[in-house]
Amino acid sequence: MRFQIKPGDELPIYRQIMRQVVDAVAGARLRPGDKLPSHRELSQELVIAPLTVKKAYDELEREGYIETIRGQGTFVGDQTRALTTAARLERLRPLAQRLLHEATLLNIELKQVQHLIDEENFRLERARGGGAEKRSR
Amino acid sequence: MAVLELEGIRRSYEGTPDALRGVSLSIEPGEVLGLVGRSGAGKTTLLRVAAGLLKPSHGAVTIFGLDPWQRPVEVKRRLGYVAESQAVPPRLSAGALIAMHRELYPTWDRDLERTLLARLAIPASKPIAALSKGEARKVLLLCAIAHRPELLILDEPAGGLDPVARREFLELSIELLAQNGSTILFSSHHMTDVERIAGRLVVIERGEKLIDSELAAFQQEHCVAVLPAAPAPEVERLRGVSGFVRSRARGSSLYAVFRREPGELKSELSDRLQLPDVAISRLSLEEMFVAFVGAES
Repeated sequence: MRFQIKPGDELPIYRQIMRQVVDAVAGARLRPGDKLPSHRELSQELVIAPLTVKKAYDELEREGYIETIRGQGTFVGDQTRALTTAARLERLRPLAQRLLHEATLLNIELKQVQHLIDEENFRLERARGGGAEKRSR
Repeated sequence: MAVLELEGIRRSYEGTPDALRGVSLSIEPGEVLGLVGRSGAGKTTLLRVAAGLLKPSHGAVTIFGLDPWQRPVEVKRRLGYVAESQAVPPRLSAGALIAMHRELYPTWDRDLERTLLARLAIPASKPIAALSKGEARKVLLLCAIAHRPELLILDEPAGGLDPVARREFLELSIELLAQNGSTILFSSHHMTDVERIAGRLVVIERGEKLIDSELAAFQQEHCVAVLPAAPAPEVERLRGVSGFVRSRARGSSLYAVFRREPGELKSELSDRLQLPDVAISRLSLEEMFVAFVGAES
């Protein structure tokens, strides 16, 4: 996948990278096992500090999207590491908080946020419906 | 051990009694620190003090754990410095200048020199005065990095360069970072360059350190509330809100910057100040800089 960043945007660069990875994973443009560029490669391609790439990757790894295999590189994870349902749910909490903060910034009511989630879920399920396994709830 | 430690640096010039008013700064290995501030805020003075080129009136400077005034040669050998206003013998060719530096630095990497010469397409035999600004700057940069310095100090390295030269310079800096994990302290007027390269942001204003923060964190901790332009008493009420930083009138609106979670801010503005429907958003780094050091209203 092609990354793009915009300095001068309201979102810090490392968050822009994170968002693109997360979007790509959700949209199945990045699949489990896909290799991501190294810190150095991505930093040189986007003309940003390698530590910024590292920050994005570290955060993504912490959130369970990607994993680093020593000596081999960074890969998209299988997204369902062996965690209990409660632990996986807790992983979503910071995202829920961020979503609500963003909604505040954009002056969007809770009802509209819920509606948005339903819309996106519908779209995702349609995109995945083909080959991928259906997510259990 | 910190690569650079500045403690309580004060420096006066004739005509500028308070160029630096007690600035303290500490840089760890591998950090990339972007120094920004208005013209005349004290950036160049600070960088020259940090490079051991200028003695402060008060305060302590420690570079690589050494006193640059007690052990100048040792410090200079491990440090690289580039400034827009550097004096260079105009008739000297680039090649001769580089050769001179090669002799001065025991850690000079001849291979790196060759690579950079080719990569930067430096015309080695032309006199420096005949080079363009961008070309001359590249020569200075080569001289500053080919000995693999532990600390690189750059005073507006892209100053006065055209966009292409500026981009080339950025790319070179990034390569340097990717390969060596160098420690870099640089000043710039281009906030987008700072955002690309720096991990830490320091804002100097009127000789003092106004902000010293991790770059992304700084951006994420602040938000701006946009209100219809208000008379003075209204603005006073905003000052009472926790996290208020600055406000500026722009057109028919008032922009108030806060260090606050947007949700909390919105609630407080709505409940306590009876200001519902206030638009709250994030700011770009450049807008934040202007908000912090621009004229207040």
